[in-house]
Amino acid sequence: MSATTSAAIVLAVMVAAFVVAKLFKISTELSLFAAALAGALAAGDGLPARALVEGAFTYFDIVLIFVTATLFMNLLKESGAAAFVVRAILRRFHRHKAPLFILLALLLLVPGALTGAGSVTVLIMGGMAATVLATMDIPGPKIAAIIFVIAGLSAAAPPVNLWAMLTAAGVNMPYVGFFLPLLVPCVVLALLTIFILGAKAKPVDLAKALAELPEAPARMNWFRVATPFVVFFLLVVAGRVFPFDVPVLGLPLMFAAAGAAALLLSPVKIAFFRTSADTVHQLLPLIGTLTCAGILVEIMALTGVRGLIAITAVTLPVTVVFLTLAVTLPVSEAVLMWGAAPVLGVPLVLLFNTIGLNPVVALAGMSVIWPLGDALPPTAIIGRLTTSTVGMKGSYGKFLKYCLVPGILIAIVGTLMVVFSKKLAFLTVF
Amino acid sequence: MRKAAIAVLGAVLALFAGTSFYRSRHLREPVVPGPGVSRVVKLGDYFAPIRGTVNDANVYVLEGKEPGGTILLLGGTHPEEPAGRLAAWIFTENAVLTRGRILVILSANRSATTATRLGGAYPPDFTIPTAWGGQMFRMGDRWSNPLDQWPDPEVYLHYPTRQELAYVDIRNLNRAFPGRPNGTLTEQTCFAITELIRREKVDIEIDFHEAELQYPVISTIVAHEKGADLAAAASMFISSLEGFSIGVENSPKALRGLSHREIGDATDAISLLLEAPEPFLDATRGRTNRELLLTGKDEFVVRAGKRGLLFEKIDEKGWPIDVRVGRHTSTVLQLLEIWSADHADKAVDVTGVPRYGEVIQKGTGAFLKDPKTVDPAKLYFE
Repeated sequence: MSATTSAAIVLAVMVAAFVVAKLFKISTELSLFAAALAGALAAGDGLPARALVEGAFTYFDIVLIFVTATLFMNLLKESGAAAFVVRAILRRFHRHKAPLFILLALLLLVPGALTGAGSVTVLIMGGMAATVLATMDIPGPKIAAIIFVIAGLSAAAPPVNLWAMLTAAGVNMPYVGFFLPLLVPCVVLALLTIFILGAKAKPVDLAKALAELPEAPARMNWFRVATPFVVFFLLVVAGRVFPFDVPVLGLPLMFAAAGAAALLLSPVKIAFFRTSADTVHQLLPLIGTLTCAGILVEIMALTGVRGLIAITAVTLPVTVVFLTLAVTLPVSEAVLMWGAAPVLGVPLVLLFNTIGLNPVVALAGMSVIWPLGDALPPTAIIGRLTTSTVGMKGSYGKFLKYCLVPGILIAIVGTLMVVFSKKLAFLTVF
Repeated sequence: MRKAAIAVLGAVLALFAGTSFYRSRHLREPVVPGPGVSRVVKLGDYFAPIRGTVNDANVYVLEGKEPGGTILLLGGTHPEEPAGRLAAWIFTENAVLTRGRILVILSANRSATTATRLGGAYPPDFTIPTAWGGQMFRMGDRWSNPLDQWPDPEVYLHYPTRQELAYVDIRNLNRAFPGRPNGTLTEQTCFAITELIRREKVDIEIDFHEAELQYPVISTIVAHEKGADLAAAASMFISSLEGFSIGVENSPKALRGLSHREIGDATDAISLLLEAPEPFLDATRGRTNRELLLTGKDEFVVRAGKRGLLFEKIDEKGWPIDVRVGRHTSTVLQLLEIWSADHADKAVDVTGVPRYGEVIQKGTGAFLKDPKTVDPAKLYFE
């Protein structure tokens, strides 16, 4: 049997196992695990304990970043800092729709940009942003679409973009030069999204909005809000300016330090252990998905399925690859979440590099498209999370319909970034 | 009930996997010092902070009766490129010197020999067949084991140039030269190697590597400008005499941390790096197993080659380990012959090491010594 046939059979078994597991209403992470187990058995590798455990640790560092960054954001929320910022913005800009939209979009971008996870944006800022938008008479599904799309863009925004980091690591490429190629499209597309979907919004009813928003503690002020962020950025800057004098801390410890600052400066007493437990509980499905995606990736490498997907992707006509990016990337994200980066991202970047495109800009373009898949089944984790967090009434289909226009815009921008990556190479300055 | 079942499954997996991880971290690879080995010292002898750490590598000193030049062979800079370690092993167990000295390090980054790639499904070990059964080696990875050096920074700045490199490369020995005395384990290991080169007045340092076929720097000698003529001459002689072709690449000045650049800049030694093709490392590879590692045969990589995506030829015969090891041994022998002819006072005359054709004909295993036939007191372990 040829390697192609053998790997194709194993791939078919893995897909079948995943589908059957989903039909039995098994969670996405366990369905991924089932697919990995079935693939190993079908390939004649039995129960490869070493590969399963090794694969589970593939994204361990990312999980730690995820947990500590989300804890930091949750501590900020518990301290009242998030409510303080939203209320301040509302008071200052309630009569001016444009600056209000701009500030809301930027606020929604921050949590995901720092953590690499759109879910953090939804959980931290989603509820409050929805409250503000609802006072402007925007329908629920439209609000959910605004928050979901910007949350996806926040996950793609720098400094932490997990798709780019995972793919870059897979092709031995430094995660350097991504800042502007990610920042520019994410900010522009986030603004376009909120302005397009909020075009018919009415002026804010300030009294109603302030009444519905959570109160900020009386002693909360800008110093208490800003200091934890200053701590984080000082640690990042110290590592870059004095790399040979400062010990290597790693992003998880930096986020933990920022969280500690938020805790110490909080004007209200925060139940730290409850918040920590809630954070882990809130993240468990995502941590589980990352862990099982790592297992799946390892088993795909073991059985040759990864190679089959990679060689198929890189030997397609380049025009076909360009034209189908808007479909293949979101679909791979819907199935594998971040696991899509090493499986599909690595061979595509190698292909783009081989044909003379700029791999950094091309990968940035792909990273902007990937989060669109978070609204699609079978996982649809962020889409479902958004609709429940904003308390949307109405069908999921209606929410998807409102996502369509910004989604198409994002797909076009991302694809153009790939196609014209060489001309956009000037963006890769830092 | 469901939670209990999952917990039991997790515990069983952890037990079996943990046993495998423990075995591969503690697998003892025997070395039978050959007739040329006069003594074995430790890397920690050249830089005390490394002493007693996982990276306190053995340094095998092979000496001739007559004085001459000094050569350093580095195996295991990237342990996932096994032909380099095996070529160094062959020199250690077989070389006889009449003039000069050869210093050999088999596990330049010993920490990296104790881990395999997360998500990569590497086998934990592989066995080279021999007439006496076979010798098992650790597979290893490109980077130091996170158990020995962790966490990674948000971005890695190379010392002393401050060039920004991928965060994970802070654990890559071939991105950390010339090393930093108060740095990480990997940086300290590089510093120890650089100190060894300075103190032993090494004339030529040769770093053994392998590369994926999709990587443009392959089947070549990467040479610091001090060694450009030597590498060019060796390439010419190899192509006409040894039965294979090897190119020459100039060590780029803009890419920092690599042995061929930093050792040449920081010491008086000529620094060279040898690359052989290893399909096992290609992202488009099929099943990841010992067979692929040793035969270098892969249907998907062949397909990539047919589409013009590779920088080295590959066909159904693959790139067997003996071919890759033989390329390394022959290249070193050619380099030494040319060097010795041009530098009589610094000559290094070596015999007993098989060339390309002989390694292919007899197999790598024919040049590995049976540890059972040697007094255990004379054995060393990697």
